[in-house]
Amino acid sequence: MIDLTGYLVFSFGLFSIGLYCLATKRNMLRLVLGIELLINAANINFIALAAFAMPGFVDPLGNAFVCISIGLAAAVTAVALGVVVLAYRHYGTLDVTELRRLRG
Amino acid sequence: MFTLPLDILLIFTAVSPVVGWAAPKLYRSKIAGAFSAIALSATGIALYSLYQDVSTNGAIYVTGNSLIAGYLKVDMLSIFMVSIFLGLGLAATIYSMEYVENSARSPIYYTLLLTMISGMVGIVFSGDLFTLFVFWELMSVSTYALVAFFREKWESVEASLKYLILGAAGSATALLGISLLYGLAGTLSFEGLATAFTATTNPWLYIASIFIFVGFGVKAAIVPLHTWLPDAHSSAPSTISALLSGIVIGTGIFVIARAFFSAFTSIQQQWLPIIAVLSFLTMFLGNITALLQTDLKRMLAYSSIAQVGYMLVGIAVGTQTGLTGTFLQFFNHALMKGAAFLCAGAIIYRLGARELKDMVGVGRKMPITVVVFSISLLALIGLPPFNGFISELTLVTSTFQTNLAWLGFGLILSSVISAGYYLRIILTMIQIPVSEKIEKVKETPLLMLIPIVALAVLIVFFGIYPDPLVKFAQHAVTAFPSLGGAS
Repeated sequence: MIDLTGYLVFSFGLFSIGLYCLATKRNMLRLVLGIELLINAANINFIALAAFAMPGFVDPLGNAFVCISIGLAAAVTAVALGVVVLAYRHYGTLDVTELRRLRG
Repeated sequence: MFTLPLDILLIFTAVSPVVGWAAPKLYRSKIAGAFSAIALSATGIALYSLYQDVSTNGAIYVTGNSLIAGYLKVDMLSIFMVSIFLGLGLAATIYSMEYVENSARSPIYYTLLLTMISGMVGIVFSGDLFTLFVFWELMSVSTYALVAFFREKWESVEASLKYLILGAAGSATALLGISLLYGLAGTLSFEGLATAFTATTNPWLYIASIFIFVGFGVKAAIVPLHTWLPDAHSSAPSTISALLSGIVIGTGIFVIARAFFSAFTSIQQQWLPIIAVLSFLTMFLGNITALLQTDLKRMLAYSSIAQVGYMLVGIAVGTQTGLTGTFLQFFNHALMKGAAFLCAGAIIYRLGARELKDMVGVGRKMPITVVVFSISLLALIGLPPFNGFISELTLVTSTFQTNLAWLGFGLILSSVISAGYYLRIILTMIQIPVSEKIEKVKETPLLMLIPIVALAVLIVFFGIYPDPLVKFAQHAVTAFPSLGGAS
């Protein structure tokens, strides 16, 4: 049985990997995946904290939140992929550094 | 389900695409727009009855007893915020009926616009962070799509991508913060969090509050997190720029105020100096960068960053007067920046150019629009007969009542800097026209002119007779029970 600290370390590690991905990757699809990682890190945190809220009892609030949060993440990803498709049609590339035509 | 205004708004939102597609092809944009205007007006009427209820009985709590439900808490602050959401939303909708071209996609535009407004209404009505986050994402997702609505323009697509990546990362950060709060308190309602944290100074609480501040601060464009704003606000359709600048960034400020004054009261004292420094940076960076811009809408977008700095001043002060100033500034900024972006949109619509240097003398051909534009810009500086003066005065007064006088002087200095670019815009527009292009420009169409003039009338009215608005804001701020230093 892994204790709560293990899950928290795992979720913060996943969150850091997501941030690293957003900061360094140039492919738009990888950026979308980075956002997914961030959301999933938070979801894992919720599930772990719900499971350890009381010994022998799983708090339904945390699990309900995660179900809805997964749905919201899907909506965000759908819009993100739509925008990536539009950007690809405009530029013919998936490299974000190619589309710095806007002034800083 | 939820309260009556929100129910009406959500049902109208769900029906709106059907109405748009059933309408005759030639009048699609007009009919869908009229339908949205009716939706917002009906919500306004329902809001009035809710207002009477709340003002006599105090805050209303709605715990769900049906299949679709959420935990809602409606207090005076919620009513105050929703009134300006609906007002500016209605102005933008009427304006859109002329502005958005008639096409197969135009009904979607109105559906997204109504979705965005229902998301914001839900945010200010929600009584726990769970409900708040769901409505937050409803608002965010529809704004990402709206920024890219003119998808044939590369600026819009690029700005939307940048906004989406930063906004979604911000939401995920907030979600992580919410999960930590849930782990600490076992509940997510604002009252429950306040009770759980009355005396704790658990280090995890600081970590959670950092995540919450950063996550919601991205949407509020607080300085290190503001980079998406100038792109998104200047590349979006002008009506959407008005709504994004006027009310969406204010929603971020609202959530931060709600979190820090209802839930994190025990660590408030450590946070307020940090917020004071950030507000100082935000207003100066916004105003100084705006001086360097040549594109009209980008200039207004940077000025929005500066205005976020002004709103943060009241939060940093953290007294009754300070928060009254913050929410007054929010209300007035929605009117002023809404009018300014809609006028800028009208000028760009008629002229087809966005650079300030192409607009020399446009005031000679579009007199009403430019007079209204000048009123809104003078109000944004904070000059006396207009409403911006009242709220900035309240903010400066509140800083002098506490030991933050340096922040008050900073606000005054920053307003003086801002006069530099606002007056330059007015001066450019009233010069004698030099180019052939200007000669052909006509006055704004009537449907676009009505909402702009209505906003200008409100700006002048609340500048000359601010009493009802100030009383409303003071009443709204009593929603925060924990405020010290009541005036």
